[in-house]
Amino acid sequence: MNDIKFPVSDYMPSSCIPEGPIEQKWTKYKREAKLINPNNRRKYTVLIVGTGLAGGSAAATLAELGYNVKCFCYQDSPRRAHSIAAQGGINAAHNYQNDGDSVYRLFYDTVKGGDFRAREANVYRLAEVSANIINQCVAQGVPFGREYGGLLDNRSFGGAQLKRTFYSRGQTGQQLLLGAYQAMEKEIGKGHIEMHPRTEMMDLVVVDGHAKGIVVRDLVTGEIKSYAGDTVLLATGGYGRVFFLSTNAMGCNVGAACACWKKGAYFANPCFTQIHPTCIPVKGDYQSKLTLMSESLRNDGRIWVPKSREVAEKIRKGEMKPSDVAEGDRDYYLERKYPSFGNLAPRDISSRAAKEACDDERGVAPTGRGVFLDFKDAIARMGKEWIDGQYGNLFEMYEEITDVDPHEQPMMIYPASHYTMGGLWVDYNLMSSIPGLHVLGEANFSDHGANRLGASALMQGLSDGYFVISSTLPTYLTTQKPGSVTTAAPEFKEAEEAVKARIQKMMDIHGTQTPDEIHRKLGKLIWEDVGMGRTKESLLDAISKIPAIRDEFWNDVKIVGSTEGINAELEKAWRVAATLDFAEVLCYDALAREESCGAHFRLEHMLPDGEAKRDDEHFAYVAAWEYTGTGELPILHKEPLTFENIHLAIRSYK
Amino acid sequence: MNDIITTACKFVTSSIGRKILVALTGMCLLLFLVGHLAGNMTIFGGLSPEGGTSWIDSYATGLHSMPAWLLWAIRLGLLAILLVHVGLTLILKYENYTARTHYQMEGTLKATLASRTMVLTGVMIFAFLGFHLWQLTFNGDPHDCYHHILAAFQNPWCSAFYIVAICCLFMHVRHGVQSIFQTLGLNTRKIRPLYNIIAILFGVVVCGLFISIPVCVLTGILH
Amino acid sequence: MANLNLTLKVWRQENAQAQGRIETYKATNIPDEASFLEMLDIVNEGLVHEGKEPIHFDHDCREGICGMCSLTINGVPHGGKHVTTCQLHMRQFKDGDTIWIEPFRAKAFPLLRDLMVDRTALDNIIAAGGFVDIRTGSAPNANNVPIRKKTADAAFDAAACIGCGACVASCKNSSAMLFTSAKAAHLNLLPQGQPEKNKRVLAMVQQMDALGFGNCTNQYECEAACPKGITVDNIAKLNRDYMIACASEAVGVYS
Repeated sequence: MNDIKFPVSDYMPSSCIPEGPIEQKWTKYKREAKLINPNNRRKYTVLIVGTGLAGGSAAATLAELGYNVKCFCYQDSPRRAHSIAAQGGINAAHNYQNDGDSVYRLFYDTVKGGDFRAREANVYRLAEVSANIINQCVAQGVPFGREYGGLLDNRSFGGAQLKRTFYSRGQTGQQLLLGAYQAMEKEIGKGHIEMHPRTEMMDLVVVDGHAKGIVVRDLVTGEIKSYAGDTVLLATGGYGRVFFLSTNAMGCNVGAACACWKKGAYFANPCFTQIHPTCIPVKGDYQSKLTLMSESLRNDGRIWVPKSREVAEKIRKGEMKPSDVAEGDRDYYLERKYPSFGNLAPRDISSRAAKEACDDERGVAPTGRGVFLDFKDAIARMGKEWIDGQYGNLFEMYEEITDVDPHEQPMMIYPASHYTMGGLWVDYNLMSSIPGLHVLGEANFSDHGANRLGASALMQGLSDGYFVISSTLPTYLTTQKPGSVTTAAPEFKEAEEAVKARIQKMMDIHGTQTPDEIHRKLGKLIWEDVGMGRTKESLLDAISKIPAIRDEFWNDVKIVGSTEGINAELEKAWRVAATLDFAEVLCYDALAREESCGAHFRLEHMLPDGEAKRDDEHFAYVAAWEYTGTGELPILHKEPLTFENIHLAIRSYK
Repeated sequence: MNDIITTACKFVTSSIGRKILVALTGMCLLLFLVGHLAGNMTIFGGLSPEGGTSWIDSYATGLHSMPAWLLWAIRLGLLAILLVHVGLTLILKYENYTARTHYQMEGTLKATLASRTMVLTGVMIFAFLGFHLWQLTFNGDPHDCYHHILAAFQNPWCSAFYIVAICCLFMHVRHGVQSIFQTLGLNTRKIRPLYNIIAILFGVVVCGLFISIPVCVLTGILH
Repeated sequence: MANLNLTLKVWRQENAQAQGRIETYKATNIPDEASFLEMLDIVNEGLVHEGKEPIHFDHDCREGICGMCSLTINGVPHGGKHVTTCQLHMRQFKDGDTIWIEPFRAKAFPLLRDLMVDRTALDNIIAAGGFVDIRTGSAPNANNVPIRKKTADAAFDAAACIGCGACVASCKNSSAMLFTSAKAAHLNLLPQGQPEKNKRVLAMVQQMDALGFGNCTNQYECEAACPKGITVDNIAKLNRDYMIACASEAVGVYS
């Protein structure tokens, strides 16, 4: 049993899932949803934080509909949101390949891929609108990969036995984001969106229990300002940077989501963090980020480590070239363990298998933490030119970073923190437990359950932004009198003062450690204790050490410069402070979830063959955590998950 | 009609429109250059054996025998083209200068010396043109062109100036010719090397032939 | 693996109004596997420990796709190795090298602090016409319009622009032609972009001119500095499309 007794509440807000058979829920919802007269829409101000796929597409769509949109991002342009870095592709149930795809199959694969910890109705809706996303993007001019006949091409991705992934070479996220960005710029040009780049959300303003505004810091002048609106849309991405080293951008942070959590929004399933199997291994202490190599590479690359530790040792020391290892001495462990999915096993499974191989001392990077991804056979089969057509930019990128040509020697990869399935809890309307606060994209606890399949994040972000929020937003807005709250409300002043005081407190510490140094410490701890394999012991260890790191921050951080003007150190410090406030709930959730499912793997809970042992009887619920104070135990609320359309089964990819 | 005027105004005030005008006028000037060169080459016909008029003299008198209005129309036309070319270039250059903030450490990857010195070589050519017109057009006698040219080029300073100016012309043409294709939208990555070859060949042939005249005079081949 | 000792000549400027200057820093013990920005991280960590203000620079994804990083290294944006600054690795340098680091310079990119500049002008060009004006939800089935693979590929090549502004910063005239033409070409090549082609070209060029960028003189410095291999073919295409657009607007031919 846990040593920690979490306060559990019986209260859980309704998930607002429409009645009826699953195929008809969304249609029924839209048929019955409230509408707002086009002339009245402009009276409503919508504040959107974040301009990635979810935020950008929502901003464009809502502005087209006539809402008065104000949009914020910390980057210098909305086009730079980290959605841009998604490489592989986007799923959609178009069945263009005639391989038997359907909305139901995409729904089924996504729920199964998420290890039965996602809400059925949401996932079905996602699968339902997926085809429209592709239509929308093509009409915007997104240059998807095509066949010689001129029609769209597809590739296969982890966790699926058919080809339903649309792609733009290795830059799908970029092209999709540029589509949304251009749609947004179109509306900015027409004056329907007021864009605030280089502006970071610092706090949420709640007036009479409703989210009615935000406090921001202008990153150029350092000014603390407030904006009021009729609703707030949070699309600020995930919290992967809690690991410090991750595939996220340097600016990605949990600050905005954490601020909302502190203001009363429940944080759901924070322990579901995805470790991506194909990243370039860590090289040194100075390293700032990890680079992802698209999962699509696993279509043609074969993953292996040497069968013997001796050979692995020689490779580590540079005494032997990987290409010289004889076929018989190689262990293609994914193909061996999961013959039907092979190298395309889902991410959590592939990542853990890599960790196991390295724990067995057969890792190949100089640090011992790395496995090979080999294109030798694919090049022999399809030719170098074909491979370059598929993955050219990825190969170049790999060579640029590592100085190794993947045509000659296999790539070296290792899992790294990538995506977070957990996030702020939302109902079917994408509204959080604070009325008026809607959460979109990776920032919400999302449709991916305990594990996200490749090419599903882009789908979800765009589904939320283009198609879902535009239909669900009136449900809330029609209950509100437009413009009823302005920044004159005392809550705004209070929130601004609190932000200023917190900044001043940090500035006044004058300690000895830079924010990055403290962040690194936290990241290392979380990676070791709350990474791919978690135990009660490791989690308790993390829980006991996080407050110490937080104290270190609040007693010893060193922020040079002033609060006025651009101050990168202050920005970092603010984000690290939020991460430190958030880190414990991740561990608490992992500790409370006494089962293994998807990306959450508790070493105590595994089947004899080493696979995850799920406990549907006790843990088929969404764990939604309510903030009670930093360092205090949060309250656990449970939303039970019922599976009426999919039979709960052991997830097998063998 | 209004549409035409508005569009024309927009065109001649836009960056691309003005560049296109520079390219088109440049092309006209290149054509003039070719015609002028063809005429100049008659100097190698030398004096006719009977001691009558030389080839170049007949060419010159031939030119002058056309009606005065036509001659002046051509001259003024050429002048207008030249002024548009030079004027627009100077305006564009000024805009480019004000659009830029300079680096403490300047670096160049690909821009050729020719492309970076277009204004300089252009000004040289313009200055030379004035001298050239003064010396040979306005102070020449169409009936005794041959000896007048010989006399002019026998002065080494005059020849040197001519040669330097033609070298500037080469630089100008080397960038200008391939630039015309780009500005008129006729360029692709595949065809670009060909344009570079055309530009260099054109420059070498035209400028080489121009320079051959003072060289031949100085070395005594033409006498 | 080796460690490098370098001398950095860095442009420092507190804010837009302040007087800027070059300052010299020592970067010692830099692993050659580190990226250029990680080298600056190391230098900055040292500066902060000395109580000095770190060198401010823009950066975000650090995998060469967001287009936020923007340093001019030894006079060339991104260092001229066909990668973004964040993907430039220290193995490209030798022990003892002196490296000049300056911001992306152009009048249209006002300096914010040290090496950070404001590139909003590029967004403004997109807002003028760099889009297909369709409403969400109104799109026909994606496979209704077949597109020749070569056309789609060419459109993709143009669309690969990351909007970093290296083309402007490297241009001797600070022209934004490569950026503008890449977006115009991306959309003008595709059937989806045809209805607005003339309008787009005229609007984008007009906006580009109005923002104070210089004029292209066909030196192709932009192409050489571009980290994403955007070619000046796009500029030729924009010139062509511009002529066609002007002609058809003037005469009233709407094909």
